[in-house]
Amino acid sequence: MKTRYGMVIDVDRCTGCGACMVACAAENNVPPGSPRVTPRTGITPMLVHKVSNGADGEGRREAFLPVTCMQCEHETPCVSVCPQQAVQLDPATGIVMQMPQRCLGCRYCMTACPYHARYFNWWDPAWPQGMEKSLNPGVAVRMRGVVEKCNLCHARLHAAQEKAAAAGKREINPHDYVPACVEACPTRAITFGNLADEKDPASQAARSPEAFRLLARLGTEPKVYYRSTRPWVRALAEPDTGRKEVQHG
Amino acid sequence: MSRRSVTFGFGFLAALAVGWFAFPRALYVQRAQPLEFRHKTHAGKSGVTQCSDCHALREDGEFAGIPRMDTCAACHTDRIGTSEPEATLVDNYIKKGQETPWLVYSRQPANVWFSHAIHMRRAGLKCAECHGTYGESDQPRAYQVNRISGYSRDIWGRSISRFRRAPHEGMKMSDCEDCHRKRSIEVGCLGCHQ
Amino acid sequence: MKLTRRDLLTLGGGVTTGLLFTPVPWKLLDDTSIWTQNWPWIPQPARGPVEVKNSFCALCPNGCGMRVRLAAGWPVGVSGMPHHPVNQGALCPLGFGAHQLNWHPRRLRQVRHHGRASSWTEALGAFRKACAAGPVAIIDGYPGRAASSLFQSFSRRHGSYGVTLCAEERALGPYETWSGVPATALGYDLENTATIVSFGAPLLDGWSAPGRFTRLWSERSAGVTNPQLRLIQVEASQSRTAACAWRWVSIAPGSEAALAAGLARALHEEHRASENVPMPPTTLAEAATRSGLSEDAIRELARTMVARGPVLAIAAAPEPAVAALNIVLGAVGARGGIVRRRQHAESYASADSVKGPFRAVLIDSSVPGEFALRTDAEVFRFAAWEDPAVHADWWLPAPGFLEEPSDIPAAPASSIETYALAVALASPPPEVRSAAQFLAQVNPSLASVEKVIHERCQQLFAARTGHLHREQSTAVANLKSAEALEKEFRSGAVWMGDPPRTGGVRCQLREWPAQQAMDAPHAATWTGGWIPAVLPPLATKLYQESSLREPPARSEI
Repeated sequence: MKTRYGMVIDVDRCTGCGACMVACAAENNVPPGSPRVTPRTGITPMLVHKVSNGADGEGRREAFLPVTCMQCEHETPCVSVCPQQAVQLDPATGIVMQMPQRCLGCRYCMTACPYHARYFNWWDPAWPQGMEKSLNPGVAVRMRGVVEKCNLCHARLHAAQEKAAAAGKREINPHDYVPACVEACPTRAITFGNLADEKDPASQAARSPEAFRLLARLGTEPKVYYRSTRPWVRALAEPDTGRKEVQHG
Repeated sequence: MSRRSVTFGFGFLAALAVGWFAFPRALYVQRAQPLEFRHKTHAGKSGVTQCSDCHALREDGEFAGIPRMDTCAACHTDRIGTSEPEATLVDNYIKKGQETPWLVYSRQPANVWFSHAIHMRRAGLKCAECHGTYGESDQPRAYQVNRISGYSRDIWGRSISRFRRAPHEGMKMSDCEDCHRKRSIEVGCLGCHQ
Repeated sequence: MKLTRRDLLTLGGGVTTGLLFTPVPWKLLDDTSIWTQNWPWIPQPARGPVEVKNSFCALCPNGCGMRVRLAAGWPVGVSGMPHHPVNQGALCPLGFGAHQLNWHPRRLRQVRHHGRASSWTEALGAFRKACAAGPVAIIDGYPGRAASSLFQSFSRRHGSYGVTLCAEERALGPYETWSGVPATALGYDLENTATIVSFGAPLLDGWSAPGRFTRLWSERSAGVTNPQLRLIQVEASQSRTAACAWRWVSIAPGSEAALAAGLARALHEEHRASENVPMPPTTLAEAATRSGLSEDAIRELARTMVARGPVLAIAAAPEPAVAALNIVLGAVGARGGIVRRRQHAESYASADSVKGPFRAVLIDSSVPGEFALRTDAEVFRFAAWEDPAVHADWWLPAPGFLEEPSDIPAAPASSIETYALAVALASPPPEVRSAAQFLAQVNPSLASVEKVIHERCQQLFAARTGHLHREQSTAVANLKSAEALEKEFRSGAVWMGDPPRTGGVRCQLREWPAQQAMDAPHAATWTGGWIPAVLPPLATKLYQESSLREPPARSEI
């Protein structure tokens, strides 16, 4: 069966705690921010935005929107602009694979990405002395001058594949491949799975009536869906003229 | 022959000589392993007959690679022979609880992910297909390191031109690609990288 | 024959052309490109066997279960322990970066006395002198551990023992006053409640053990119009919990007590109050004025509250009016309310109230980073990370994250008793010593932490109650020996006692409490439960590299 890994993020369940952001950074060997880092120059492959319905006072409602690489399936913008072919849509899994080591740092992909989900290494990674012992061996450390983004915790997919191969199996056990953000969420707001498998809970959630995708009208066919029963949250999917502010991180 | 063509030819031949003979010698420097381990000694005497007796796959699929000290310590907690390399192992490493700092011939960069489990179990490759018959040798093998890149000579292969290589010689990305192409196995970038 | 410039150029041309027919340019290109990708100052992860082991986080009294991934013997990642019956696999946001804490730049690696380097010998000497000269106070931030029993044994002979309790436990203070049951034996039976009225308690953001309420809320309440579990958040501003709650009731700041009294009054008037409960003196009009809600709104809120029982009111601080409201609601000692999770419990003296004067004060590393004592006594402070804003005469390097074995008592405000053993998974720096080890050196007759743990396992085994939770759960009664029990603990099993019986706690209340909170409302910050003086380095993602959180008051990395 075809495999298309994707996620459904339930905005009604997200409390904005930030556990997914920290777990993602730890899994991917993202260095702690330099003293000069800002929300624009930081590296946050998982980034949670605070959004609101634009009203003030009693009528104001807020929610949280975790944003990660949307794993665009159709005419993936970053793939089409990269001069180095440093990013590729994997035909086998649907994951948009970023190869920082191949990147030359032109940042064209950062311009192309409609979701601002790509991050540039402005500085060489630096950890306090000795902390490199705590680095995850499954993910290579990037040097400055390259772009990185969420790879759907590919190291965990590798581990699942290796475990399956050692046991003589062809297919991985889905329980062995759980991205860090999905695992970390205290309210289980993120459902991860194979969107191409009709029986998969993620696939079913993506097809529910409350599901929506950000900027769907661009036609990039993102594989990260959102879900909410609140109409004002669903309305955030498309920017509207005359619409209220959406606070960016 | 004109003076010009002689001079040119002289330079040409000098370059050829330097490029083919002096350059490979200068590019690589030999390093000694911390001790002279001999595979054959183990194969004959202690019944260690398979590669996987020491270089094994763990339960979660990870490959043990160069065995850790506790594998060696299973037999060598104290000296069981008379050789000098064993004395070095026992006194300098096992007794002090330190891992032996082996120089790894097939060490790949950190951004490479190679799964022994997939290649051994799914592809059915034998150790010698990539690593040669080193496991049957009774001579310790020289470790030559490239001065510029810092990697073992085994990655490029012994032959400086990469012509007429032995089937197992070379572990560069192009070598992996050749085999994958031959067997029509397509993997994306992150299929081998991390 | 003279060599001319032309000869040189021709020679150069020959050499250049010749080189093209050698491997030199191609090999140099290849090698140089590899060289440019391997700068020596880019750290590389260690290569070595990867293992996954179970342990527990002791950085705050919640004692979350963790699955720790180790590479070459060092923790390289943490995730929650799915089989933990309380945390159910969740961790706080800061916990995910905790494995890097041990190398934080502010890690304390050496004994310091008045700012200059010192030694354990000097510290021991000074402490022995202090003990001989007068009483010593020991302050513990994580009571109930084996180490805590050591502190208590020591203080019985040499002085006093005081604890700092976390906000959730302090909020149970009024029930302790009125029932005599220690707050450390009480808990909220959230799992069996149908309606929760939270007076500013950040239930979904750093309250009690992570996962405990968030999982419950996610399963029973999130995104559903008519949920099984109704969360009513009464709070002046829209916190994260208020934004997610089924209903958010916005009130004037500081009017929780007035509103609680007003609600109790409304329930009385509609004959929905429990018997034997005094009527609050506050009228509905007064409550309305103070809280900013209309009288009708208060009545409507009261009706909504009791529409689906059991109902439980939770306050962020020890608010007597909210506790009294719980009595009115019949929540004290009832299913889905305030329950007593254990028979035998101790009432501890608060650190602020231990009677001095003391010759010395010893502060354990489990005490919150910002805890400061106003005292003239000599302060011996154990800490894994230094806090320059806090004064101590002696800074003593204590074990950090996963660096010492410990036992893990039940999380504060939990409704069921649990017990577990945290194994050490990281090697501490050489100069590190725990307060328990230090005191054992001062008084060698004290039992060691290991011995106390061993005895507790024996007692637990002998009691034959409860279950051990692993991937499968087993009844303790089915185990063969206390050693088997201890072995299970060391591989990450969690013991869980029997569910609490109703009626375990009863409050006597003659009259409605005076409308004053017993202590200042706890300033809720997102680092609330986090005890250490420093944040994990990756926490910068939350406030510096995004606008998800406010920067913490103290300057951290």
